[in-house]
Amino acid sequence: MRAWLWVLVVAFLAGIFWWGMQRNPRELPSVLAKERRPAPDFTLPLLPPYRAAWGEAFRLGDYLGKGPIVLNFWASWCYPACYEEAPVLEAAWRKHKDRVLFVGVNTQDKEPEALRFIAQFGLTFPQVFDPRGRVGVDYGMYGVPETFFIDGEGRVYARHAGAIDEATLEGYLKELRP
Amino acid sequence: MTPALLGNLSVALALAFSLLGLALALLAYLQGDGRFLKGAKALAPLTLLSALAAFVALEWALLTHDFSLAYVARNHALQDPLWVTLVTPWAALEGSILLWGLLQTLYTFVASRKPLDPWRASVVLAVLFGVQVFFFGVMATIASPFQTLPNPPADGTGPNPLLQDHWMMAVHPVLMYLGFVGLSVPYAYAVAAMVTRRYQSWVEETRWWTLIAWGFLTAGKVAGMWWSYEVLGWGGYWAWDPVENASFIPWLLATAFLHTAYVQQARGAFKAWNFAFVTLAFSATLLGTFLTRSGVIQSVHAFAEGPVGPAFLGFFLLSTALGLGLLSRVSREVRDVAVFHPFSREGALLLGAFFFSGWALVVLLGTFYPLLVEAFAGAKVSVGAPFFNQVSAPIGAGLLLLMGVGPLLPWRRPREEVFRNLYLLFAALALGTLLGLLRGYTLGASLAVGLFLYNTLAVALLFAEGMRARRLAGLSPWSFLENRRRVGSLLVHFAVALMALAIAFSQTYRLEAEKTLYRGQAWEVAGVRMAFQGVRALDEGRRFAVEARLSTDRFGEVRPRLHFYPQMNSPLPSPKVIYTPGNDYYFLLMDFDREKGEWASVRLIVTPMVFWIWVAGVLMALGTLYILWPASRPEAAREVSPA
Amino acid sequence: MRLLLLLLSLWLPALAQEGPPPDLSPEVFRIARELRCPVCQGESAAESNSGVAVEMRRLIAEMLEEGKTEAEIKAFFVERYGEWILYEPPRRGVTLWVWVLPVVGLFLLGLGLFAYFRPRRPLPKELLEEAERRLKEPPA
Repeated sequence: MRAWLWVLVVAFLAGIFWWGMQRNPRELPSVLAKERRPAPDFTLPLLPPYRAAWGEAFRLGDYLGKGPIVLNFWASWCYPACYEEAPVLEAAWRKHKDRVLFVGVNTQDKEPEALRFIAQFGLTFPQVFDPRGRVGVDYGMYGVPETFFIDGEGRVYARHAGAIDEATLEGYLKELRP
Repeated sequence: MTPALLGNLSVALALAFSLLGLALALLAYLQGDGRFLKGAKALAPLTLLSALAAFVALEWALLTHDFSLAYVARNHALQDPLWVTLVTPWAALEGSILLWGLLQTLYTFVASRKPLDPWRASVVLAVLFGVQVFFFGVMATIASPFQTLPNPPADGTGPNPLLQDHWMMAVHPVLMYLGFVGLSVPYAYAVAAMVTRRYQSWVEETRWWTLIAWGFLTAGKVAGMWWSYEVLGWGGYWAWDPVENASFIPWLLATAFLHTAYVQQARGAFKAWNFAFVTLAFSATLLGTFLTRSGVIQSVHAFAEGPVGPAFLGFFLLSTALGLGLLSRVSREVRDVAVFHPFSREGALLLGAFFFSGWALVVLLGTFYPLLVEAFAGAKVSVGAPFFNQVSAPIGAGLLLLMGVGPLLPWRRPREEVFRNLYLLFAALALGTLLGLLRGYTLGASLAVGLFLYNTLAVALLFAEGMRARRLAGLSPWSFLENRRRVGSLLVHFAVALMALAIAFSQTYRLEAEKTLYRGQAWEVAGVRMAFQGVRALDEGRRFAVEARLSTDRFGEVRPRLHFYPQMNSPLPSPKVIYTPGNDYYFLLMDFDREKGEWASVRLIVTPMVFWIWVAGVLMALGTLYILWPASRPEAAREVSPA
Repeated sequence: MRLLLLLLSLWLPALAQEGPPPDLSPEVFRIARELRCPVCQGESAAESNSGVAVEMRRLIAEMLEEGKTEAEIKAFFVERYGEWILYEPPRRGVTLWVWVLPVVGLFLLGLGLFAYFRPRRPLPKELLEEAERRLKEPPA
């Protein structure tokens, strides 16, 4: 009888370990997304190439509630993930630009590096500059890249950590459109 | 003959010899034929030689910069200094498993030379060879240090810079592995004892093994703490990181075992506990490796690698099942007839062992808790230093209390004259605490002072008693020093009390602050006045260093650095630590003006009494050595009781 | 020397250098020690050198200057990151168990010791002596 008890305990523990080894211990839930909170507002300076079209500073609040927004945090030193997803984002922006607003936030980076990155991928959606990473903290960011999907009412719908691929991106956009 | 060829061949040979040794040992036990045993014993040196050859092959590959080996390409660089190259075998997973395997073959060889009756000798060898089979099996299949690359690079990336910064890298892992491997021999003897039903003598026979293994584990832990302090740049020595916990748990269980083994040697009691503790202590070393190699627990320095984790998990389960299974089979025969009063030395030691193993369990709980919660509640939680500190403090306090009073209690039942000593001890405790409170220390720190006084007095009383007993027996009182076990353990206990005091104060009164200083600007903080004089850059081949010059009023010129390694994203601060008996002053260069070198951002961490932690570590090592040192006159080393 | 610094700044990692970092008082570190670094999750926000931790310390310094209390500062981060940002698992909800289990364990230990040391019917004198004699087997 006691032997069976030991076997059960061992099997139980082994099962937990096995399950534990499958999952990624670094994944973390986003509080904003879980509770569908209103997206935190911010005002950040735009990088030079975009000032002509969007002004000197970009205020997210001006665009909240007017349609879905894709907010992407990136940095030029985040290799290879940001480099993989940049073309994906640019292509999606070109496809959906009349319905969805794409905003890139360059975080904890240097301006010349950021401009080099933008030029390399020919990014045309607006990019703002947040060297301190203050806005990242407001969004509960824990690494780059992270992409936030904000719905038409200005609430955070989902957060994707890591490089985003086309299928996932399109999937979220479909869910966001009314 | 290339290093890869030699290495693979040697590992294969080591595995083959170990398998053969295991088979022969098992046959020796089952058939009762002495020739099988002779054969098994003969294989021990062969496994040692092949393991040594494999190790030499790896060193050969490193010293000749043979980048066709994946291990060398990943962990070695052309410009590594010689000493870094020599210790690269244990800089990463596959090489450390090789080191572990090598040490295991060494211990198996030494154990095989020890005379033992053939029944038990065969089981002991079978267990030891079995452990070897596991390690060399892992090396031969899933974690080979001799895997080759089809396109060898011209240069490698070198070991993790954190491992290059300090010479302790050469020492700490070797000490830890010597400790881990050392536990395998008492475990093997315990299994043999349970299989052959000879339950008493194994503890005496493995006395030195246990003490040496414990000594290495302790030295390894303290060395690791010191390395962390000097290298990692956060001014701490213990973070309750899963890797630290993974080696702390075996230490706790080994300490429990050390003390209950003593009771079995002296009084014949605790047989069942000893079997359980030695099994758990040995298995815990495997569990620790599983934890840190499988990515199960997220950690600052867990390097997750494929199937190695499950392999260690499996072997952990196997060794635990073997030990505890055998114990349950013989439990009826080793049950204690409890002829001792709880308030006796046996009682104190048993309670102490429970505290140690309870502590191990709590550390295990805290380390695994995030995993369990995610399994059942799907929530992400974290269990960090505050939890472990708060839970360990009362357990540690309890152990400090027991440590003082335990050796003073007589065997079997309390006696009248002991109570006088107990009152003295508790008076010292109260006095120390009161003094602390009067000086304005926190309650925790004051209790630490009280406990330190309490334990110091206990050690003094035990010395006095020992010397008095000698005098009454007609011997010189100083001959008490020849009772090496007593004196050595008293020294270790004192060192533990000192370390506890130092830890309490360093945790409670740590102070850190950060300030940006312009050239010539002075900063007065925590009783130190420093002025920033400038930065300079140095090219050190494998890294760039930026050094800030701070002129201080008390310590002359202090030069903390930032090290820039090509393979790391951000620089590593290399602190300058000033040790004083009172406080440690830990200077860190956090950032500097990249364009003109006009300002530097300096962090100062002032921690009291850290110096004494290292002193206590040295005292523990000395105490252990004293016990191990062969007595010049064995008769004089015996315990002498008062006439 | 200046050239060397210039060279350094070219291949150095792109850390933002917008001027010197702010001063951090001991109080900042005390609070940061109780928050977890989101990136290097084993470390606290006081020890970690990652960008997020640096920003967290800066925020704590700014909030302290504004006069916010420790509780308010912690709540600020919990609001953004969730409960797990607190280094010490909170004593409620799902992490309550990690605090309770050691106490339960202690209680069970007490029970176990009590059962172990419970006075039993004493053995007759001859058996007691025999038992004591057998406890001290001569070493094999």
